[in-house]
Parts: sequence; C-alpha cells; structure tokens
Amino acid sequence: MNVDVLVISSLYDFSTDLVIQELEKNGVSYLRLNKEHFSEYRLTINPNTQSLDADVFGELYCVTSDVRSIFYRQPVFLRNAPAEPLSLQEQLDRSQWMGFLRSLTIFKNARWMNNLASTYLAETKAYQLAIASEIGFTVPDTIIGNDVRKFSEFDGTAIIKSLDTVLLREGSDCLFTYSTISNVSKLDDDEVSSAPLTVQEYIYPKIDIRVTVIGEKLYATKITSEGKGIDDDWRISSREELEYTDVDLPRAVKENCFELLDKLNLNFGAIDLIQRNEEFVFIEINPTGEWGWLTNDCRRIDVDISNWLMER
Amino acid sequence: MNNHVLVKLAKRKPYSSTPDMPDDAYYDSIKGYWMDKKGALVSSGSEYGARVSKKCDQETGEDQKGE
Repeated sequence: MNVDVLVISSLYDFSTDLVIQELEKNGVSYLRLNKEHFSEYRLTINPNTQSLDADVFGELYCVTSDVRSIFYRQPVFLRNAPAEPLSLQEQLDRSQWMGFLRSLTIFKNARWMNNLASTYLAETKAYQLAIASEIGFTVPDTIIGNDVRKFSEFDGTAIIKSLDTVLLREGSDCLFTYSTISNVSKLDDDEVSSAPLTVQEYIYPKIDIRVTVIGEKLYATKITSEGKGIDDDWRISSREELEYTDVDLPRAVKENCFELLDKLNLNFGAIDLIQRNEEFVFIEINPTGEWGWLTNDCRRIDVDISNWLMER
Repeated sequence: MNNHVLVKLAKRKPYSSTPDMPDDAYYDSIKGYWMDKKGALVSSGSEYGARVSKKCDQETGEDQKGE
C-alpha cells in the first residue's frame, strides 16, 4: 500500500491516537511506526529511489518521494545519560535507529510537522529567545552559564531552570526539574559550576498562557487556579486545581506567534507566554510540545493536525 | 554533581517506563491506535486522551523525547 501520511511515534503517545483516528475517518492512506516496534518491523530505506519499504507485522507499505506529509513525534537526538550502563545491543540500537530516523529527511518534498533540523535548532532555548526578541516579543532578562557571580544582577529572586530537559534516573527513581523561584544571590559556586543553568527574571504577577499553533490555526489558553494566576510552575499543581480557559490574544501577539514559527521553520509549536497586567512576555516554544491535555469539543487540535497533514 | 542546584531542585518520583493501561487494552498495529472492547481507547476528553497532559510529560513523551 502506498502511504500518503507517515507517522513516526511511540506506542504510548496517546495524542497520536487521536490524529490517526481522524486520518482513518477521512480515508487517508497512513502508516504509523512506533519506536518500541522498530526491531519487529522490517524497514528498508532506498536513498536513490527516495523510498521506504515497511513490513509491519506482515502488512506491506511503501513510502515514496510523493508522500504527502510526515508527522514526526520522535526525538531528533538522544540524551547520552542512561541510568544504567547500556549493553552492546542497546548502544547499537540507540545509535543506528536514530541514524535511520534522520535518514527520513530524504523525503524532502513532504510537508513535515516538524522538520527534524528545524526542531533541533528550535529546541535551543537561547536561540528561540534571541529570535523571539528580534521579532518584537517582550522576553525576560535571561542569562545562561555557570558563573555564580553573574547571577547577582538579578538582585535576589529569579527563576532557575535547565537549558535542556532535566530528566535523570537514580535507582528506581526519576528526577525532573521544573522552573523554580529561587533567591539566586544565595547560590554558591559549587552549586552551579559543574553544569550551566538558566537564570531568568521572575515575572510577577503572572498568568500562564499556552499558545498552540498548528499551521495557520492558533489556540490561546489561560491556565489558572481558582481564577487566579499561579505563582510557581503550574505543572506542580494538581490537575484538579487547574482551569484552562480560552483567551483572545491581541492581534500583535498573535502575529508574533505566527512569525516566530515562520522564522523557526516550524508548522507546529507550543508557546508559553506570561501575561503581566496588559503585557505578554515570551517564555519559550516547544516544537514537540504536548497538546492532548488541551483537546475538547472547542479545541480539536487533533482535527487541525490531521487536516494539516492531509493538505496538499 | 549532586550538589548542583538543578539536582537539588529536582522533583523525585518512582520511575516507570510504561503507563498503567486497562486490562482489556491492546494496540492494533494495522489501525495504528489503542483499542479496548468498546472500540478506540483514546478519544477527545477520554481518560487516555485528557490524561495526555502537560503535567504528565514524563509519561507521555514531551520530556522523554531524548530518551
């Protein structure tokens, strides 16, 4: 079967289930490949003919250079921080399957959500802040590094966050770092010198706004608790405490959001803004940001993504 | 390294490589989505749709994309 829409995902990426069901409803020829099953599939890329042949548990598929779109929900790189030593087989798997996924860039005529190279660059927080500032967003004062002396310019309270996701394993536990309000003037050199971190101006009072952009569609959702903004990282609050309310952004802010995606060559982006009184401050954009938690009858992001994938 | 502020501030929780799934759930590799005896397991607003939460990044992939 010739494939019109190729989906690269993982088995437990439930948001992808929603998109796939929409593709199925619309009679689109699609193929979903999950990373957990790579070694059970039989996959062959031919760079000369620009094609991918897939034997998926006995079903045969062909992805040609005419493939319409690729929905890429997988890493563009692997963090080199395994909790336990990797076996020879695991080392081989990690390196070669990532190389295989990058090889899908042969489908250069397809519409990508999102292109691997663009995602890689857009994941870099310093780069996205620089671009956001250039196009006119208000951005918080930010410094990135391991020189504790530089943090004194924040005069006490600031936000501490990682440059890249901190998801560590120790024994049977995992550790995850959220954005944290902290008195950075009390930090010592030995608390920061071994690895760089991001220190950012603490915006207060604040209301978190998640902007989800899919092609030319945009949803802006205010995140509050009991009708009020959440001082800390809202992800620490329990789900029951959170309210998600649609908001209409000023036209200039919407235009900045679209322009940011354009400059970053992204077709999907999850943008975090903070509203301080009447001002909207750019915090970050996630090219692979989650959106399943936002879907409801009025926010059919799954439908928007599938429609975008089906467009010619 | 354990003295680093990012490690000190990290939230610790038990690690699980896969989410809890209903007993009758199975993945249909031809359809490309999860099913249970009633049909599609995930729909907009369902437990396994709404639970695909920004809050559950660690389970759902947003922050495991490099793992």
